[in-house]
Amino acid sequence: MSESVIAFDGVWKKFRRGEHHDSLRDLVPALVGRFTSRRKPALDDNEFWVLRNVSFEVRPGQALGIIGPNGAGKSTALKVLTRILKPTRGTARLHGRVGALIELAAGFHPDLTGRENIFLQGAIMGMRRDDIRRRFDEIIEFAGIPDFIDTPVKRYSSGMNARLGFAIAAHLDPEVLLIDEVLAVGDYNFQQKCYARLEEFRNAGIPIAFVSHNMQAIATLCDRVMLLRAGQEPIIGDVPTVLAEYVSSKGSLADPRLRVLNAVITESTSGNELSGPIPPGASLVLDIEIAAEVPLLRCGVLLQVVRSDGLMIFTGMSTLDGLPEIDLQPADRLRARIQFSASVLRGTYMVNVQLVDTLRQWSAAVINGVCSFVVTETTRVSGCAELQPSYDLSVARSSMPLVSSQSVPSGRL
Amino acid sequence: MNQLIADCREMLTEQVQYRDLLYEMTRRDLLIRYKQTIMGFGWAVFMPLVNTAVFSVIFTRVAPISTDVPYPLFAFCGLLAWNFTASTLRSSVTSLTSNAGLVTKVFFPREIFPFSAMLVALVDLVVGSSVLIALMAWFGVAPSRYIVYLPLIVVVHVVFTAAVSLFVAMANLFYRDVKYIFEVVITLWMFATSVLYPVRTMAGRLGTVLRLNPMTAIIDGYRDTLFGARPPDWASLGPAALLAVVLLLAAWVQFHRSEFEFAERI
Repeated sequence: MSESVIAFDGVWKKFRRGEHHDSLRDLVPALVGRFTSRRKPALDDNEFWVLRNVSFEVRPGQALGIIGPNGAGKSTALKVLTRILKPTRGTARLHGRVGALIELAAGFHPDLTGRENIFLQGAIMGMRRDDIRRRFDEIIEFAGIPDFIDTPVKRYSSGMNARLGFAIAAHLDPEVLLIDEVLAVGDYNFQQKCYARLEEFRNAGIPIAFVSHNMQAIATLCDRVMLLRAGQEPIIGDVPTVLAEYVSSKGSLADPRLRVLNAVITESTSGNELSGPIPPGASLVLDIEIAAEVPLLRCGVLLQVVRSDGLMIFTGMSTLDGLPEIDLQPADRLRARIQFSASVLRGTYMVNVQLVDTLRQWSAAVINGVCSFVVTETTRVSGCAELQPSYDLSVARSSMPLVSSQSVPSGRL
Repeated sequence: MNQLIADCREMLTEQVQYRDLLYEMTRRDLLIRYKQTIMGFGWAVFMPLVNTAVFSVIFTRVAPISTDVPYPLFAFCGLLAWNFTASTLRSSVTSLTSNAGLVTKVFFPREIFPFSAMLVALVDLVVGSSVLIALMAWFGVAPSRYIVYLPLIVVVHVVFTAAVSLFVAMANLFYRDVKYIFEVVITLWMFATSVLYPVRTMAGRLGTVLRLNPMTAIIDGYRDTLFGARPPDWASLGPAALLAVVLLLAAWVQFHRSEFEFAERI
């Protein structure tokens, strides 16, 4: 019995723009074409590569995060793995019973009750009827809908629907696990429960491929990340490096109202250009040089730091710190040096700079993703801000024997 | 040839692996069909009964024709058997396209869709048989020893229907014209089959052509084995059985091989 594994060996996948010949009228020319032109060239005019030379291997206990902009081929990659699509070139290997957490409620029928749908959806996911029956109570318990189990699913709220779907999937006994952005459902508590479940799977030695736009979730669950890019080969590496690449490549489209001549982020203590992760609280200096293409008048310089999952960490503006407004005429250059302290916890952060018209209160020009930095630390449990707590603990030993209910510190009882 | 054997093995393994899904899909379709209805399974026999009544008036009063058994029994038996094929095919044609969400998102053998459509129709057939038995009792028609061949007829019928259902489901996925053509073909096909009149007694070239229709062989086979007058007509049933097996093999292998294109072409 081979070890369970998820792997791609040089997979290429071609898609087609526009419509296939969908009616018999178009069949005849297509058939004629097929017989006359024998073997087609690698890529037609209206074809494109959605996956280009993708290779990876996920072994037991590992989790690979798959990220990328919309249309980069993330879901396609999972569909090739689940054998829904066949790769144009290369091979996909998947050893072990597959648990695919993709479209968790795809098989639900609105007229059937929750109970009936559990059996149906479970069977669609490849569960045995006996297994479903055995774990039935656990599934209802996990979904948290025991009162509605004999109600048709069409009367469920969308959250209930999604929770039931995940609950069924969570009780598969997979040997490999494929997950496609299915956790953006349910309330906060339910999401936490889902992530806890996924970590259980990973710790049990099940290889996982996890597609998500939630970078924090990726960073928590995965040990490696693959960044898919439309029309380019993917980047695979450890989590901070690839996330940094992603956030800085993502929004670097410059505003047409200005040109970025130079943008460098340095660590102020060493004075070196930033390379690799920094500890919390490191002092950073952003040097940026901008040439205006249009008049930019009465402007303040706005600094924004955003975590890779979209959490806004900080927005501040020069004018609110008492600096004068700036007027730029076309071809004028602005040289800005912004020093700030990265008092944040582990994660990948993107820096945005804007010129804001202080009179009209709008962004005159925006440079998103001007640069990015990665913070690592292992001393904090979770959170986003480094508050630098200091603990002063003292234990007063009581000479009296402890009686639990009375040993509560004094005060209001 | 080795490829063919490997494919067949894979097809069967998948069916065994997903047998619970076939059961659940069939159950789903049956449950949905009769939810929020008062007559429930009564609908399974309602249409054949209405048709039998209508055609009995036409073929016994307006334009009488001679049949071995009382005409209502003749017609009901024909309609019941025909409906199994017709309703299987009718559900199969759109079974893949109307489940696009599943076809593009979740992996499992796609044959499940036409096969579960067939099992649903098979349940209708069984329910309808109880009415057939009641009619036989009413008209005093009893089966003879030839009834031992009945299971064979059922098998040929099921194999043939399965083959055609795989084919139409797959064809409609690639070319949506199929579902429109289907309605025309199924109507013409019914009148070219001995559902409402005996093709066997038809003379001339037209009769010869119509007797090539495997559905005629199958439906006449039901009547022969159930009503006890004579053994099945092996000369027409044999080729029909052979055709059914070959068709099923061809359609299933083709279905299996093009399965991976379904998600892209749907």
